[in-house]
Amino acid sequence: MPNSNVNYIVSGLERSGTSVMMQMLNTGGVKVVFDDSRPPDEHNPKGYFELAGGKIINQLMAGTFDFEPHQGKIVKVTAYGLKFLPEGNYRIVYMMRNIDEVLNSMRKMGADIDMEKDRVLFGKLNKFSFELIDKRDDMEYTTINYRDVIDDPGKELQKIGLFLGEPLDIESAVKAVDSKLYRNRATN
Amino acid sequence: MSEQKKTVSIPTNLYDAIQERVEGTEFNSVEEYVTFVLEEVIKDDDEEETAFTAEDEEEVKKRLRALGYLD
Repeated sequence: MPNSNVNYIVSGLERSGTSVMMQMLNTGGVKVVFDDSRPPDEHNPKGYFELAGGKIINQLMAGTFDFEPHQGKIVKVTAYGLKFLPEGNYRIVYMMRNIDEVLNSMRKMGADIDMEKDRVLFGKLNKFSFELIDKRDDMEYTTINYRDVIDDPGKELQKIGLFLGEPLDIESAVKAVDSKLYRNRATN
Repeated sequence: MSEQKKTVSIPTNLYDAIQERVEGTEFNSVEEYVTFVLEEVIKDDDEEETAFTAEDEEEVKKRLRALGYLD
């Protein structure tokens, strides 16, 4: 089991593969924290693997989210929420995905996306997240590319296992990856 | 390897003012001082362009609300 004094986080922009990562870790034998307040839908047929119906950021902003019961387990906190994490001891798996794929997926979910403007906007948010993590002494991170997960999940899972300090059940975790759900693949 | 350079002309009175300012500082010449200042200006511009501003934050929040990640 990972270190119980550490808060493990899966992060990244919304629609960057955070749910897939949570699902892989869950099937790979890591303790992952989520509830069923947002049920699976056509955008995430296998579920969101998140807390508070995805609105954990609201609780973090209000300072009402209690990490204590979740120490040593993995919680999903998307990129914007990182700035509200209280002092702790965090290891963050940060998902990276082609920004056009992220935006296309957001658009399909109903967000009003201007590709040109939002490419810059969410690029800035990624940069802001990394700067924030670098500035904080209580955070370590590794980046995982969504496309690499789809192309060679076993390799990425090994990398994640080393980062988390726990070997994963890679054979099981790989089964969580369904390349058919990679529906917004950019051509480049 | 020597760094390639280009010549830029500035008004004489500005040059004199810079020279006066450079005296007694760690800069060895007007050229060194001007290069330093311009590098800082360029760097600030780059940082401004990529900074995540309060306005950007509001835009991100709008998108997150639309996606159901924020109330």
